[in-house]
Amino acid sequence: MTTAIARVVAQRYREAQGTLRLSYFTSVFRQDRSMRGSEREYDQAGVELIGAGGSSADAEVLAVVCDALAAVGLRSFTIEVGHIGAVRQLFEGLSPELLDGVLAHLRASDHVEAFRVATTGLGAERIERARRGLAARGRGIEDVGVPAALELREAIHLARELYPGEPRWGVPNLSVIPPLPYYTGLVFEVVSPHVGAPIAAGGRYDGLLARYGSDRAATGFAIAVPLLHRALVADGWALASDGALISLTGADEPVRLRVAGALRASGLAVAIGPIAESAGRRVVKVEAIDERSVRYDGRSLPIEELSSILPGAGE
Amino acid sequence: MSAPLRFALPLGTIFEGSKGALAAVGLPTDDLAGDRRLVVKGGELEYILARPSDVPTYVAHGAADVGIAGRDVLMESDEDVLDLVDLRFGACRFVVAAPAGSLERSLDEYRHLGSLEVATKYPKVAQRHFDARGIQVEIIRLGGAVELAPQVGLADWIVDLVSTGRTLRENGLAVVEEIAACSARLIANRAAYARDRLRIGDLAERLAAWAGR
Repeated sequence: MTTAIARVVAQRYREAQGTLRLSYFTSVFRQDRSMRGSEREYDQAGVELIGAGGSSADAEVLAVVCDALAAVGLRSFTIEVGHIGAVRQLFEGLSPELLDGVLAHLRASDHVEAFRVATTGLGAERIERARRGLAARGRGIEDVGVPAALELREAIHLARELYPGEPRWGVPNLSVIPPLPYYTGLVFEVVSPHVGAPIAAGGRYDGLLARYGSDRAATGFAIAVPLLHRALVADGWALASDGALISLTGADEPVRLRVAGALRASGLAVAIGPIAESAGRRVVKVEAIDERSVRYDGRSLPIEELSSILPGAGE
Repeated sequence: MSAPLRFALPLGTIFEGSKGALAAVGLPTDDLAGDRRLVVKGGELEYILARPSDVPTYVAHGAADVGIAGRDVLMESDEDVLDLVDLRFGACRFVVAAPAGSLERSLDEYRHLGSLEVATKYPKVAQRHFDARGIQVEIIRLGGAVELAPQVGLADWIVDLVSTGRTLRENGLAVVEEIAACSARLIANRAAYARDRLRIGDLAERLAAWAGR
């Protein structure tokens, strides 16, 4: 959705001053070969932070992705944090054409071809440094000696300040290089131990809005909801019970309908007659006696009492 | 103990080369033959033996963490996997070939008809190549014996994988241009490469040193 939002912002919010914080939850469509085990239409949830540059804006987006995933109950995940500027610095000294070629191969995940191209323009020592930079994960990236790696560390540090208490703060990892070409700075992917592809990804894309005529700093992320769902289920997550479903019988039809209405008004879920699909919820049989009372569990009781008796019922 | 590193190996022509590479960097390979799944090294490593063209699929979906696949297979599969190390064996080339001496005639034909017919077992590689060149072609997908296609009038040109070029010569074909040089690669799942960097990084390092980077 990022390009679509960049266009809308560049046009509709052309005159807006200050920082825009946008969020969306929408269907996205992918032109993809069939039979690959992935959907062509799926839900994506994301945020975009537009008009703010620098480490504190990067940190804000990192904090929001972590907060969002923790809020839906995801426990095991790491945020792998890279930096496109740092990757460019690793290959400093290449001509612009060669550097473009190297980055294109890296975006396509082809490290072998990237280094084949890089070797034509860099000495052995530089090549070795670039290899170490892309292979390092964690603190090791600071030893590679590229200035943007420090920017990356700063953003992770600030994110921790913004959203304390979560241990999954982000691991420096310069091999995180998204396939899309518009990323310019800090980038990240959220990785679950249970899912083969990143469940969320994002980063800084300064320069994209300029293509639509409104040059502004921007960063954001998107969560692939089906992958998040898969990770949650593998994590042992289950939907919290919504309480019992009442299957209501008894009395004549007008009375039954009125009793059903009264029970629903007190917060209970009621179906008239038998229930074929309870969606995992407990089914409770209740019989209407008259407009004020029902029979439940062998006892007759006033309608108002039922909602306080049924465990886990209502809101 | 952590879960075993799942390693997808290709049965077929590069199986022996893959085995040799693994043995050279000290991984156990003795029992690699019959079973499709094999857990070795006290549970640290699990081999999954797969059809070569399925290896990228296993790795892309995270059913295997790493694998060995020819670059030819990777180019045709289009799966999103990390291509980490050139293992240097299983060398071959994707080429465009045409009946020897017919280049002028087929270009003339292209000018008149506006498109060429190209027979291949690798439709995606062929399509991508000609798209990048701006040459309009109709791809005819075949299951094998592609070198016969120009002889029987099925296609003007072919796109095929060659190692020595002998089959081309025997069928009166000549290379028009090379599309890509291919060899076996160590590939990794993107997510696995992040969360299991120590083991996969170490494996990549040792294989790269063995292949003489």
